[in-house]
Amino acid sequence: MLLLDYQNVLIQSVLTERFSGAPPAHIDQTVSDFDGVTFHISTPETKTQILISLQIRCFKELVQYGAEDVLQREYGQYVVPPETGYNFSILVDLENLPADKEERDELIKKISLLKRNAMAAPFEHAYSEHYKLKEAASKYTSEEAPQGVREGGEVMAIHYRDEEAIYVKASHDRVTVIFSTIFREETDRVFGKVFIQEFVDARRRAIQNAPQVLFRNDPPLELQRVPGVRETSGGEVGYVTFVLFPRHLTPQRMPDVISHIQTFRDYFHYHIKASKAYIHSRMRRRTADFLQVLRRARPENEEKERKTASGRTFRVQGA
Amino acid sequence: MANQSPAVVMDNGTGFSKLGFAGNDSPSFVFPTAIATKGPAGGSGGTGSGRPGVANKPSFLTGGAGPTGHLSMKRGTEDLDFFIGDEALAASNGPGIAPDILVPAPALRCYGLHYPIRHGQVENWDHMERFWSNSIFKYLRVEPEDHHFLLTEPPLNPPENRENTAEIFFESFNCAGLYIAVQAVLALAASWTSTKVTDRSLTGTVIDSGDGVTHVIPVAEGYVIGSSIKSIPIAGRDITYFVQSLLRDRGEADSSLKTAQEIKEEHCYVCPDIVKEFSRYDRDRSRFLKHLVSHPGGRQVTVDVGYERFLAPEIFFNPEIYSSDFLTPLPVVVDGVIQSSPIDVRRGLYKNIVLSGGSTLYKDFGRRLQRDIKHLVDDRIRASEARSGGARSGGLEVQVISHKRQRHGPWFGGSLLGQTPEFKSYCHTKAEYQEYGPSIVRRFALLGGPGGS
Repeated sequence: MLLLDYQNVLIQSVLTERFSGAPPAHIDQTVSDFDGVTFHISTPETKTQILISLQIRCFKELVQYGAEDVLQREYGQYVVPPETGYNFSILVDLENLPADKEERDELIKKISLLKRNAMAAPFEHAYSEHYKLKEAASKYTSEEAPQGVREGGEVMAIHYRDEEAIYVKASHDRVTVIFSTIFREETDRVFGKVFIQEFVDARRRAIQNAPQVLFRNDPPLELQRVPGVRETSGGEVGYVTFVLFPRHLTPQRMPDVISHIQTFRDYFHYHIKASKAYIHSRMRRRTADFLQVLRRARPENEEKERKTASGRTFRVQGA
Repeated sequence: MANQSPAVVMDNGTGFSKLGFAGNDSPSFVFPTAIATKGPAGGSGGTGSGRPGVANKPSFLTGGAGPTGHLSMKRGTEDLDFFIGDEALAASNGPGIAPDILVPAPALRCYGLHYPIRHGQVENWDHMERFWSNSIFKYLRVEPEDHHFLLTEPPLNPPENRENTAEIFFESFNCAGLYIAVQAVLALAASWTSTKVTDRSLTGTVIDSGDGVTHVIPVAEGYVIGSSIKSIPIAGRDITYFVQSLLRDRGEADSSLKTAQEIKEEHCYVCPDIVKEFSRYDRDRSRFLKHLVSHPGGRQVTVDVGYERFLAPEIFFNPEIYSSDFLTPLPVVVDGVIQSSPIDVRRGLYKNIVLSGGSTLYKDFGRRLQRDIKHLVDDRIRASEARSGGARSGGLEVQVISHKRQRHGPWFGGSLLGQTPEFKSYCHTKAEYQEYGPSIVRRFALLGGPGGS
């Protein structure tokens, strides 16, 4: 598994089972996803009505960037007022499913992508802002463009974890996505650096059309004057910047790009952990080999000292 | 954020792994503890040494003849090319082969299947580490740094295994906190949901019967009495084989292992008296059932189901009808286990006999077991009363507790204890691990014991 899935596997499997026509059953499960997202799947009233609720840390910010519209667009008829303690809920009635198998699979897929769709709002917002700015900028040459067009849109901050955030900024010729990352562990920081270096170098080596990746320990210029960005000391916080070029910004590519970039942090941490696992397995292998060498090095005919019952000692040659 | 996220409960058993979040009433995922890796299933992978199949020796050790796998060749991502759980079974079988055929033609197999846990204990740590990594990131989808983990271990697990587990969880995954609990103790905690249990004590006898082996484990105040544990080589798989042999004897149209398992799970129950049950069947023909087997091709076959309905679980109580080497009935084993335990806990052990695992789910299993143990105990009391010449015994309460969460007992107990507010204070954190080293996990404060809720 190189890339992480975008959808929540549990929601997918629960719904697939329920939709397949299995006898209705009571469900009440709290499920976690990455970044502290919590789902609650339950059948509060009858066994045929499945309520799926989502709780996400930065929902307020997401709403600000148009999350409600995106969710309304995706889930339309299924949206219900949110369950208490959760930010967003959808209700699926098993007696009222689309008749077509493919449509049902489509619905399962959609629901299991709930977190992804909620998080997609600021990115979609940035896309549309980019199109607008591009339209506006095409009227001017680069020198005479008014301040607003040249500068680009506002920086949208999504504080999706306690100490980490994603910043998205649209300009007329690109969309910049900045992740602030923090590592608790010295080892992780080193691994992280190697990985990010790989990302930075990827463009130089082979993949010409990859987005440009920059890494630095102090806040990049785009984040100046953004509230909540701390001037850091000691290099604990790193900033990973992705620059998406018009090539990535076509409407056809949008869903894929958004899904990919959202999972970046988890992908990054997953691979740090996977490489540690790999190093551990090499270490175990090597230790086992050295142990074998040691075992082989033991002389076959060891001179042993033996004692008789009365306590006198004598030597035996060989075994 | 780590304060409100639910704890992750993982119960990795020999056959199946149960994964989920604390507070739920059933595990989110139950799948085989299997991992499929590229290359053939190495026989040496599970021989007990825990070594990987292909030795990667430096050339000075092999004299240049060994495999030339060096760092330069390992730049790829082969180590991520693996599957776990049901996907592993599918990948190793190749397309189009029914999953109950375990040995497909070698040509079809490009992934080798491994079971990293044998007899409840982790044998291959490489595979186990990757298994855990995939279960966390692919299935549970959690960032281990945000969550506390509750893992289980079999009774008599060597402390070194605990240390290895801690190394993986703290060093590889950086998990926020770790607690390793003994399965039997969690099974006791799971029985608290039963209405028969009034005091939430952690004293009792756990009968844990899974697929491979049945354990009888006495637990006193949350601590396993290791010297008194007994295992019985009769468990779910043997019952399936027994049903299969009965089907074969009768010459049924379909006597595959899968059919036998379905019959076992759907129709079997425990009867109070085997002789009476036979005559009852002869009087009442409606007790004979038909079982419909549908083949993948759409073909359907009917199989008659007869005496095996009550005979199959009977091998726990009369093993001589199935096996010729193991002849002690389960009630006798349980009685022996309790008798070999310290005398001051025996009363508690008889009073709280808890069932756990899939092979204890037969209807009336608990009732029959309670009756048989009660008989043994009463006989002994009567005999000693007669010997003492006039002294009267106050009697001994024998109670077998079956409850709704029996199937995933240890997991459910973990979920129950993992959601308590004080659970996190019982865990060891990464900071503590770094301060003391892996040996810190040799000791855990007793979760749910006296002083807890």
